[in-house]
Amino acid sequence: MSLLGGSDLQGLRVLDLADEKGIFCAKLLADMGADVIKVEPPGGDPTRNIGPFVGDEPHPERGLYFWYHNTSKRGITLNLESGEGQEILRRLIGTADVIVETFPPGYLKELSLDYEALKEFNPRLIMTSITSFGQTGPYRDYKSCDLVASALGGQMYVCGDSDTPPLKPYGEQAYQVASLFGAIGTLLALYYRHFSGKGQQVDISMQECIAAAIEPVNVRYLYDQVVVRRQGSLQWNNAFRLFPCRDGYILLSLFQQWDTLIEWLDSEGLAADLKEERWRHPEFQLKEKEHVIQVLEQWTRRHTRAELMEQGQLMHFPWAAVNSIKELWDNPQLLERGFFAEVAHPEQEASFKYPGAPYKLSRSPWQVSRRAPLIGEHNQQILGEELGFSSDEIADLALRGVI
Amino acid sequence: MEKALQGLRIIDFTWVLAGPFATRILADYGAEVIKVQSEVTMGATQHNLSGYFNTWNRNKLGIALNLSQPQGIEVAKRLVQISDVVVENFSPRVMRNWGLDYHTLRKIKPDLIMLSLSGMGQTGPWRDYIAFGATIQALSGLTYLTTFPGRPPLGLGYSYADHIAGLMAVLAILQALEYRQKTGEGQYIDLSELEAMSTLLGTAILDYVVNHRVASPLGNRPAHRIAAPHGAYRCKGEDRWCAIAVFTEEEWESFCRVLGYPSWTKEERFATLLDRWQNIDQLDLLVEEWAKEHSAEEVMTLLQEVGIVAGVVQDAADLSQDPQLKARAFFVELDHHILVKASFDGSPIKLSDTPAHFQQAAPLLGQHNDYVYHHLLGMTQEEIERYTKEGVLI
Repeated sequence: MSLLGGSDLQGLRVLDLADEKGIFCAKLLADMGADVIKVEPPGGDPTRNIGPFVGDEPHPERGLYFWYHNTSKRGITLNLESGEGQEILRRLIGTADVIVETFPPGYLKELSLDYEALKEFNPRLIMTSITSFGQTGPYRDYKSCDLVASALGGQMYVCGDSDTPPLKPYGEQAYQVASLFGAIGTLLALYYRHFSGKGQQVDISMQECIAAAIEPVNVRYLYDQVVVRRQGSLQWNNAFRLFPCRDGYILLSLFQQWDTLIEWLDSEGLAADLKEERWRHPEFQLKEKEHVIQVLEQWTRRHTRAELMEQGQLMHFPWAAVNSIKELWDNPQLLERGFFAEVAHPEQEASFKYPGAPYKLSRSPWQVSRRAPLIGEHNQQILGEELGFSSDEIADLALRGVI
Repeated sequence: MEKALQGLRIIDFTWVLAGPFATRILADYGAEVIKVQSEVTMGATQHNLSGYFNTWNRNKLGIALNLSQPQGIEVAKRLVQISDVVVENFSPRVMRNWGLDYHTLRKIKPDLIMLSLSGMGQTGPWRDYIAFGATIQALSGLTYLTTFPGRPPLGLGYSYADHIAGLMAVLAILQALEYRQKTGEGQYIDLSELEAMSTLLGTAILDYVVNHRVASPLGNRPAHRIAAPHGAYRCKGEDRWCAIAVFTEEEWESFCRVLGYPSWTKEERFATLLDRWQNIDQLDLLVEEWAKEHSAEEVMTLLQEVGIVAGVVQDAADLSQDPQLKARAFFVELDHHILVKASFDGSPIKLSDTPAHFQQAAPLLGQHNDYVYHHLLGMTQEEIERYTKEGVLI
């Protein structure tokens, strides 16, 4: 704890009361060095039941989703439905700088634990609320999830092909984007607190977060009344498209460095009519793009992804192999930069490499201080050593289902 | 109202999307962001009158500065001296070639925070690779995974990774500001867009590391859990869809009630969540039969009113009319010198005491030369005129 200089958020206490919408937000803060206490219901958080699991054996201590999103946090169990549980939470809030919560709007007010009530006794508190639609507005009580946030936020409509349904991006991007905006909001509030001495509420709507991360969609409509539509792998501005290779797919730019590209095809006798002068005009290229795509496809099918990417990058084409997760793991660039970070799991008698720092800071490096907490792992440490409950009292709280 | 980042000055050498998106967030919360451009090097995405440029550069000040001239570099250094943060997203060698790398700049400004955002990072065998958002998405696995099972990859069709890198950049700068607050020291941040993007695929990566399973595309099925129905269902009208997700038995019961208990809802093959999950393709067809009889808005409202997660697959026109986005003032409008009105998405970070400010549209090239060169750097009008004539402040 006494690292010279210390990490950026060392000494900052965060209570993590979040589900999937905010779990990544609290992880980001924890890996920056904040003391993040994850508060789970007795028996463990429902997110522990999300797969995949180590060895595909479902178990609340073996969920990889839970592992990844809870690094560097400590964990306690607390029944927030009970009066005693609320009282303990209130005492913890007295020691906290930040709360990250994702309850439906109004829920904390019922417990008298809403921001307005809490700031009375902890005016420096920052409360980051990440919800489906935000704390206000006609949809505030509607429910959402990763899929529906992507739909209502305008992302799904532009993903997929013209003959497929709209497509949700892989993973849980909406949850994670909301968490990113939430973490930024938290640090903005923290920065301001240095000068004002006061905390504030950060109100994050998952729908808005997606609607703010859809590059061309709002721009094209607000300026030119153009509704961007899905068009397969062809990028909205026709700049990129995927092409089949001998061993998978490659992302090519279509019209960049046209002369160089056609020379390359021609050197293999595959430029077809694209050598003709008329093809050098950008407007003509765009109008006849289907033909350009056909000719390029004849060429890419003869090559491997690696050949095209390596040669292409040498010639300054922004091309890339369409990689699987295995290939991401084997990526020489990530390996050389030491991207993956080893995390020890004593209970598994093993260490595993996790995705590491999202960015490299020269003086206050990112680090995983510990693997995700076990259920109630720090009950004794936090309730006993910090809040002063005796071992008997803690045993009694456990017996009565408060922790 | 107060501004969260009041008094913070940022020199912004960024262009295209990832960098400008990052500095826009800092500007929205009160940082004084000085965007450096030059007519000498300006490309299409930097055309100040395009909607694209306008969108990502609101609230910033604009100066013209020609960095291909030695005096231009000197002026840049004077600016760094009076600033807190430098942000750039050139290829790794560019700032070094100009003599504007971190090691040089920290001699001028010891507590400087400098962030370099690039596709691959500042080191490693691929550091000179050319990358746009699409490139990063392909390399990260996101493109491979974003498609329907059994179909070739589709990907996202836009530069999502640039948004992610931009958000991570803001986080990194705020983190470094915390450190400076505590220690008085600045630092250098090397942000690789590929690494930033990969942190959003953590569960799939761990599944490979631990279980050696290579994740495969899921279409609109949920990742890492089961739910059925779960997808986008065609509704009445041209290309209208509603996303529906039913997670629990209670929700399924409500769902059947809304549909009026058609006979198939009572069939054995849909009896439990696991049954429905195993027969989800058949279930999808039946749900769509029902959805097609209704507008997407009706489907959403009918289901949400009984507590089922559902939402219209909104296009850009829908977003502009969305009652929830309207109620929370998501879209904002600003006066622009030439475009007259400029509209934007606002900020999804709603801070109770220090909300985002939307003060000015994006600058014209060199619009704030006088303020920056005269008022901040103390150049005389003669100097400014001479430098302009000599091609430095253009």
